[in-house]
Amino acid sequence: MLRYIIRRIFLLFPVLFGVSLLVFLVLHVFTVDPTSVILGQHATAEKQEALRQELGLNDPLYVQFGHFIGGAVTGDLGRSLFTKEPVTKEITSRFPATIELTVVALLLASIMGISVGIISAVKQYSALDYMSMLGALLGVSMPIFWLGLLFIDIFAVRLGWLPTSNRLSSSVDMVVYTKFFLIDSVIHGFKTGDWGALGDTVRHIIMPAVVLGASSTAVIARMTRSSMLEVIRQDYVRTARAKGLSERAVILKHTLKNAMIPIITVIGLQFGSLLGGAVLTETIFSWPGVGSLTFMAIDHSDFPLVQGTVLLSAAVYVVVNLVVDLLYAFIDPRIHYA
Amino acid sequence: MRRRLAGVLASLFLVSTLLTGCGGTTTTGSGQAAGAKTVILARGADSISLDPVMIEDGESAKVVANIFDTLVRYKEGSTEVEPSLATEWSTSADGKEWTFKLRKGVKFHDGTPFNAEAVKFNVERQLPPNPTADMPYADFTLGMVDKVVAVDENTVKFVLKNPYAPFLLNLAMSLSAPMGSPTAIKKFGKDFGSNPVGTGPFVFAGWEKDSKITLTANKDYWDGKPKIDKLVFEVVKENSVRANKLLAGEVDIIDGIDPNDVEKLKADTKLNFSTSPGMNINYMGLRTDRKPFNDPKVREAISMAINREEMVKSLYKGNAALANGPLPSILFGYDKDLQPYPFDQAKAKQLLKEAGYDNNLSFELISYPNPRPYNSVGGDSLATAIQGYLKQVGVTVKITSAAWKEHKENVKNGKAEAYLYGWTGDNGDPDNFLYALLHSSQIGNGRLNDAKYNNPQYDELLMKAQQSSDKNERIKDYTAAQEILVKDAPWVFISSSMDMAAASKSITGFKIHPTGVYFLKSLDKATK
Repeated sequence: MLRYIIRRIFLLFPVLFGVSLLVFLVLHVFTVDPTSVILGQHATAEKQEALRQELGLNDPLYVQFGHFIGGAVTGDLGRSLFTKEPVTKEITSRFPATIELTVVALLLASIMGISVGIISAVKQYSALDYMSMLGALLGVSMPIFWLGLLFIDIFAVRLGWLPTSNRLSSSVDMVVYTKFFLIDSVIHGFKTGDWGALGDTVRHIIMPAVVLGASSTAVIARMTRSSMLEVIRQDYVRTARAKGLSERAVILKHTLKNAMIPIITVIGLQFGSLLGGAVLTETIFSWPGVGSLTFMAIDHSDFPLVQGTVLLSAAVYVVVNLVVDLLYAFIDPRIHYA
Repeated sequence: MRRRLAGVLASLFLVSTLLTGCGGTTTTGSGQAAGAKTVILARGADSISLDPVMIEDGESAKVVANIFDTLVRYKEGSTEVEPSLATEWSTSADGKEWTFKLRKGVKFHDGTPFNAEAVKFNVERQLPPNPTADMPYADFTLGMVDKVVAVDENTVKFVLKNPYAPFLLNLAMSLSAPMGSPTAIKKFGKDFGSNPVGTGPFVFAGWEKDSKITLTANKDYWDGKPKIDKLVFEVVKENSVRANKLLAGEVDIIDGIDPNDVEKLKADTKLNFSTSPGMNINYMGLRTDRKPFNDPKVREAISMAINREEMVKSLYKGNAALANGPLPSILFGYDKDLQPYPFDQAKAKQLLKEAGYDNNLSFELISYPNPRPYNSVGGDSLATAIQGYLKQVGVTVKITSAAWKEHKENVKNGKAEAYLYGWTGDNGDPDNFLYALLHSSQIGNGRLNDAKYNNPQYDELLMKAQQSSDKNERIKDYTAAQEILVKDAPWVFISSSMDMAAASKSITGFKIHPTGVYFLKSLDKATK
């Protein structure tokens, strides 16, 4: 087991190297010269040349890539071309916002998805089943951008129930400890007795989390349904029924427990893809996380920042994948790693 | 199994917190005194940096303009200047030496005294060989300065390489000219942009990137303490969402208004809607050095074939003013009696015939899809309209559209005979339009005369005006130069957009300055 884990961890490096190389090449071959963006209206050829020299953009590609990898290994991803701040600082200061949004989105998606999936499986071929699956189809195919704007229009503008964007209202003052605002606002509540910040934080996170989790909800629902259906037909479920157990116990204890394995896999994988999907969601809702940072970096042709954010997303993705694989071994007694 | 799962989840959480690093504590606000006045201004994008020498974009300038002061400042609603950190100034007879008397007793927000040494420090930071290549405006704003001398504690003298009249207006700009605390600049170095210290009406209090910048009132401001306690610049990316936030009362002021939201905002009785003429020009440039536009007759015909008035009305619906030349109406030197070629398609056809084109002229027009500050509908709508008018006189226009950044490269590299472009003024001086965009010295090398317009007579008038310190003389020269220009027609002059903003009725003292930034020292908010 341990040997397997170590082998898997060593395998992460070539993957990340490949991702870095790909991103690097795409950026440097296809994007516009960032110097014209940095210098703005008065970018003369001489000034652009001087700036390219200063930023090291004139070095051969392999040298630039070498610098980047060399820095990345030591945890230095360079400085943003625009803000002049270290890329690692830019990313770490925004990472909590993205993690918080992703976790809440995944939590909502799991609760919703598993519930819908169970109902669908138990009432297979009923109207309810068809409706749920149609809903799931819609959820998967709905463009995040469109869904986000629709939500803002309905719930924030027309009904005025929820705020349109950001993580916290400007009028709310809160001391930040962890940068996870849900945790911070709870601490704030205990310290000051003022729970307004928690309410405000929750109201801000609902819409982006639902929109971000929409497609995951659908994926999880469909996985739950098919996995449940497979288990329901197994002999031991029939045995459980024959023993006279209540339908509830049969479904929740015997069936769901064994159906959970593929569902957990899907949830784990969704976590990785949600981090990617956060780019659009965060941009629409002005959510100051890594996603909107990525969007801004691409928009500005800010090479170091794009490389940093993509590398981080890839790293999170493969690590989550690994964790999911390992979870298998814990949960499923049939799987053995040699 | 359950316990194992919990263990895994707990370690996952630990890893993620380790990854993100539990930073120290920061406060997003200070303990508010009862009845503290906070004004929230929402805009479409965040500032990039708050170091005046590191920026070139309007969103950074808007915030910088309220943290920092400049030696001279623009008068409200105009591009004339009045004293600010300098109380008086004089020019030597040869126009090369400018001497400024400084205001006494002014301190930076960190307590550092403001004096001649501080001015020298701020300027020398941007004089060769000191500036780094990523200071976008050092060369534009201070490139004409040969040296700067601290004569005494409260007197500073600039020695220019040549007489240069626009210099005074440059010193009022929010880019590169504002005065920062030398102590803080030395202390923070590259990070001064995230820790700005000036002498301005507001003090920097905090910045959550991509979310909001918070400023607090400078209680010791030399020009009177601001009436509000806190000023927040919030980022709301989507135009329509921003408008809705104002309607919902979540924010006090918004800018960057989408043409589609104008009616809705104007109709709301709780709001004041303000439009003011912007300092910009929207135009179609013609390559005067290449066929077919090296023939002045063809350029004249193109100008006459397009009904500019009708086009501007239908495209911009009153949110842009028809241009009569290269200058927006806000600048001195703008001549309201100037007349470009009138709309006359019969005459246009005849001119084309004389030039040897009988319904067989075709050319490529390059354009861009996205809105620009001077063109709220984007280039492609404009290109299509032009294409329609020219079709009526037998001219075929082939439109090629590329994303803005690529479009800029295409214009610079002369990809086509005609291009859609525009310009937002820097300092409020006509030189910044007429010389920067159309003088023959600005051809090539990535400079801005992309029409390759070259007329010695015009050049001479501009040089004369640039070196003269007599404003009336300058206006005369600029008027003559513009007359030459509309006759030569290197551009089709289209429009200048209006700057639009909307604010809650409880807000007073909010005005959009022609330079596109906001000076908010007299901002106030009525309390309910």
